[in-house]
Amino acid sequence: MPLYVCNTRKGGISDAAKEKIAKDITDIHCDVTDAPPDFVHAFFFEEADELPLGNNAAVLHGNIRFGRNDKQKAEIIDRMRASIHTHSGLQADEISVSISDTPASWVMEGGELLPEPGEEAEWLKALDQKIAATNSS
Amino acid sequence: MIPTRCMVQAGQIADSTEAQLREDMKAFAEKSFGSEPFIQWVVVPENSGFTAAKPSTSVIVQMMSNRPLKTPERIEMLKELCDIWIERTGKSMNEVVCAVADPFVQDAA
Repeated sequence: MPLYVCNTRKGGISDAAKEKIAKDITDIHCDVTDAPPDFVHAFFFEEADELPLGNNAAVLHGNIRFGRNDKQKAEIIDRMRASIHTHSGLQADEISVSISDTPASWVMEGGELLPEPGEEAEWLKALDQKIAATNSS
Repeated sequence: MIPTRCMVQAGQIADSTEAQLREDMKAFAEKSFGSEPFIQWVVVPENSGFTAAKPSTSVIVQMMSNRPLKTPERIEMLKELCDIWIERTGKSMNEVVCAVADPFVQDAA
């Protein structure tokens, strides 16, 4: 978490463009929220039923941790739409981007509930220690 | 029915493991919620899944409860769900992301 899922029409985004957009999604999310990149998932689909395209050429939906403000969400939406437009060549007005929130306490990663926004550094440190202890046992 | 979405990367989960996981999820949902899961098994195509901007090996499992959950109960469920996936897939704990959401609450009209 966050999980960004992108759906396009067949061939809408090339594999090379997916890599660039995934990097942008990660960088933008981390830049706007200060979240660590290890949390950021970006998955791409074509003609997926789960994320209807409607009249759009591409739809990107981000499911992020609760606690980000409207300004942050608006910035994420604008910058990610621009990234998809730049790397795919799809028209910006045919790219729909949306965001929904999930409480951190509803999600477990690394065997622990996700940290609340702003508490990531301590959480990651504890996780590293936990993984190191698991690997050495 | 408990809405359940399992997102896996193409080529990383064998068919036999998927079948086992479906049985595991059924047992988990029946025990935890008293209801069968409605499973959407979603495979992220080759070259299309990224975590931290690198090719992803993550699985993401999302379920929606049929009742609001208190945190201690949710933690126990999440631990069990993560353990199921770690054991069956052989993935590490930081490759398995599980979420159990409360049901949608509709505003009274």
